[in-house]
Amino acid sequence: MDIWATYQRKLEDVQISPPLAAILALVDLCATSTAGTMFELVKALNEGSDSLKQHSPNPISINAGCELFIAFVTLFPHDSASFSDLKMELVKQGEIYVRQALTYRRKIGELAVDFIKDDSVILTHSYSRVVMETLLLAHRSKRISVFVTEARPRGLGVKTADALTAAGIPCTVILDSAVAYAMDKVDCVLVGSEAVVESGGLINAVGSLNIAIIAKAANKPFYALAESYKFHRLFPLSQYDLPSHNPRILSFPPPIERDTVLASSTSPIPSSGYEVFITQEEIAKNNPDVDYTRPDLISLVFSDIGSLTPGGVSAYLVGMFAG
Amino acid sequence: MATETPTSTPGSQPSQKSMTKAERRELQEKQRAAKLAQPADTLNKPKSKPKPPAAQKKYPPGPAEANISSADAFRSHTKDATSAPAMDSLAEASKSRSLRIFSHFGLPKHGPGVKGDIHPCIVRLALQFSEFKICGANARCIATLIAFKTVIQDYQTPPNNTLSRHLMTHLSPQITHLVSARPMSVTMGNAIRQLKLEISGSDIDMPEQDAKDLLCQKIDDYIRDRIIIADEVIQDLACTKIKDGDTILTYARSSVVEKVLLSAYKQGKRFSVIVVDSRPLLEVSWTLSDDSLLPPPPPIPCTYALLPALPSLITEATCVMLGAHSLHSNGAVFSRAGTALVAMMAKQHSVPVLVCCETYKSSEGVMLDGFSKNELAPSHLFRTTLPISPQGANLEILNPLYDLTPPSCITAVVTEVGLIPPSSISSIPTALGKINL
Repeated sequence: MDIWATYQRKLEDVQISPPLAAILALVDLCATSTAGTMFELVKALNEGSDSLKQHSPNPISINAGCELFIAFVTLFPHDSASFSDLKMELVKQGEIYVRQALTYRRKIGELAVDFIKDDSVILTHSYSRVVMETLLLAHRSKRISVFVTEARPRGLGVKTADALTAAGIPCTVILDSAVAYAMDKVDCVLVGSEAVVESGGLINAVGSLNIAIIAKAANKPFYALAESYKFHRLFPLSQYDLPSHNPRILSFPPPIERDTVLASSTSPIPSSGYEVFITQEEIAKNNPDVDYTRPDLISLVFSDIGSLTPGGVSAYLVGMFAG
Repeated sequence: MATETPTSTPGSQPSQKSMTKAERRELQEKQRAAKLAQPADTLNKPKSKPKPPAAQKKYPPGPAEANISSADAFRSHTKDATSAPAMDSLAEASKSRSLRIFSHFGLPKHGPGVKGDIHPCIVRLALQFSEFKICGANARCIATLIAFKTVIQDYQTPPNNTLSRHLMTHLSPQITHLVSARPMSVTMGNAIRQLKLEISGSDIDMPEQDAKDLLCQKIDDYIRDRIIIADEVIQDLACTKIKDGDTILTYARSSVVEKVLLSAYKQGKRFSVIVVDSRPLLEVSWTLSDDSLLPPPPPIPCTYALLPALPSLITEATCVMLGAHSLHSNGAVFSRAGTALVAMMAKQHSVPVLVCCETYKSSEGVMLDGFSKNELAPSHLFRTTLPISPQGANLEILNPLYDLTPPSCITAVVTEVGLIPPSSISSIPTALGKINL
């Protein structure tokens, strides 16, 4: 079976985020697998998760889901009469988990709403389902207005703005480069996340780090919202230590041929303006999709297991995986 | 860390069992003589160096007397500052003041030779400890456990006693003797606590030899699981953080960091290393001179520098890797003096700081600074490295062996349970199950 196609199909449901889609794809793999022993099953699952990771340009969030499901499978008490029964049980449990996981956003929203004061201005970044849920929930009881960053290169901030305006929340799209300008008007920053890592830090759409640093400098609280299935056993030491980093990112173009340099230097300098010769796509190609926000910049992480400090996140992860 | 690897200890000298009684007595005699000689020429010297010889006889240094004499000194100082005896006692006061601050730092307590029934291998180990022939948390812990195996094998339960009840009373004086040579390391403390637990839990009905064999087996398991295998896991984890073209900065000498660097090199990673070293131990120079430890050519490109050169080198580093003596539950790392400086400088330049440390080095206590608990390097061992003569008046040479790196300066601790931020160190025991620690 083509696990990547399955993953893509699961992802079509707007409510399903990449880690959950990865879990569902692995559940399907589990259901169709012909493995006769636990060892074979885990091997098949590992292969499936590897192929998912290879296909995806950004493997971090997929990896979080895969790791969670494989850890669950290996730790699941197998006292069933036959192995096929056990497999069916695993599939059932996997589906139950995903169904439960879909209620997590609501839970997180309820936790986070208490931290939003009436008549406050909120800054958010790009598009995140859990942030949307929280903002819509807050809108019911409080007056809020929202700044949302444009979030180049994907430009998903516009999507957030459309949805919020439709719901009647005053909302303005600001440039990624205007965050510092807007920060003094902001009461708190709410961002979603691709993954929360073991240091207590956050991996999210590129630009989150800028916002976190500016918020810290302006002494504004920076809240991250993350479902617990996004918690990931990974410890990036720097931006370049992320699995998504590759040599293409931030690479310099090959040097221009000497002849052309000489030719251009002899030709007269164009008098009016300068010509645009690089497209948005070309810029995006050499730029990262995600960045890593250090734990010391984050005030709180709201998750379905509670409101955690970054230290609490790492304690939870150590307790969950180190045992 | 160890100039003499502990595993080679039993082989390097005729084993204690094979020594004749006369030889053993000779060793003890020598040890006793050394102990008696030491207080006179080594222990008193750093404290009483500035004293005139007459004063030395009158006031043997001791915290209680130091207090009295300083109080006296101040009284007489207020009365008549110019008179000669007052000047004398003023010098006395300033000296005893510095002694009062640092007197709690563990200097080897040279008791009157060997007290009680001490096993010769413990006597030997204590000598190696006090002479810094075996130094470093891992080496000392392994050497201690191996020596205890010999002690346990040579032990005979006296009549009307059981092994589980009596063996510990036999081991206690041995431990006391080791501690009198050099203050106990946290690693030794943890290992001994585990050993006590095993002894008290051993079955009363088991034949004595079987019980002893079982204990030795447990000791071997402890060394294997908590130190050797843990080191291997740490190597694997830390290697993933080393990439081609990196420059790793390390300070002093840690057995784990050394292993990490060598194994990363063996995996085909090409990186360079900056080794920073410092007085008084100058541990790294031993490494560099030891050819067997250097990898086969082409070796890892290394830069060797002393601590004052750190500011100009830190900008070159992509990652700092440090070893540890012990790990405290607030995330602070107790390590070779100078480590805190390196970590703070790295933090200032936003270079990630990794501390490689096995979980058996963790201590439940909280430490806030390096003054509350520390150890002084015995100056008679490292005097050759001093650029000044210790004869000058009012001069005291202070060589603390350790310092405390606050958790805020550490990016991550590499343990065998994974890379962990220093703030979550306290959750390791719960994760491992309390019994193991």
